[in-house]
Amino acid sequence: MNASEGKFPDQSPDPGRWLDDHGDYLFKGAVFRLRDNSIAEDAVQETFLAALKAYKEFEGRASERTWLVGILKHKIVDHFRRSVREAPLGDESDEGPEHREFFERPEPWQGHWNNDYAPNEWHATPAELIERNDFWKIFNDCLSPLPERTASAFTLREVDGLKSEEICDILSIRVNNLWVMLHRARLHLRNCLELNWFRREQ
Amino acid sequence: MALKVYDKLKHSIRYRLLRTLPTCQQTVETISQSMERSLSLQERIKLKLHLWICAWCQWYMEHLQIIRETARAKGDELPEYTSGGLSNEARERIRRNLTKQN
Repeated sequence: MNASEGKFPDQSPDPGRWLDDHGDYLFKGAVFRLRDNSIAEDAVQETFLAALKAYKEFEGRASERTWLVGILKHKIVDHFRRSVREAPLGDESDEGPEHREFFERPEPWQGHWNNDYAPNEWHATPAELIERNDFWKIFNDCLSPLPERTASAFTLREVDGLKSEEICDILSIRVNNLWVMLHRARLHLRNCLELNWFRREQ
Repeated sequence: MALKVYDKLKHSIRYRLLRTLPTCQQTVETISQSMERSLSLQERIKLKLHLWICAWCQWYMEHLQIIRETARAKGDELPEYTSGGLSNEARERIRRNLTKQN
């Protein structure tokens, strides 16, 4: 996959070739996490600029692509940090929709699943889903209506697998806020995926 | 006859449990928390009992796991088979900016 591996660091950096070899790949990873083309383009450009500066420290221990992906992930975290700095967490609705209607039922069953929203069996495995571009389109559309911080928390946790403390630090929130955000994001996303993907596919 | 009694018994146990255990609304929150921290013994028992009698929450938990596993796999590999990439305009803009810096 990476012909240039091993040639580092004797040669001088060739950012034009980086762009050709890895530009699309990095962009797709950035769009998946940031859900915005122009912010993702900026993150890719910042990645290459940072790579130029850090080039001497790269000793070819990892592949060139792995190295660039590592820088990109830092740039994405920087973006999340910047975009929440100016927006302190206000009232509860900032954490995402509660979806109380999912659990509206006549007594004595108030608080149990309403039939219209109750989960159904999904016939798909992660291995099948990952290859379906139309699934990721819907995944993306389902996350978009969530408050930005909640969607970012979800991405950092469920896509990148960061620890709670790291996410709280990046997004300037307490761990209790984080748990509420993750819960609401999951509740919303699961329902949205079921309505727009799983019921249609089955 | 014996079967009928058993069914009746099962139904009444299920009914009693649903009335006394946390609701589905509370349970889905616990399910989400179980992916973030270890639950207390009491929480674990209540969750297990609820899942034992509620297929909906069982599916809910399974779906959260599928979502996590799928999203992490996608995040790890940034797979090649995803369509799309940089627009020509963005690619040329980045190229110009990189040349300036280099």
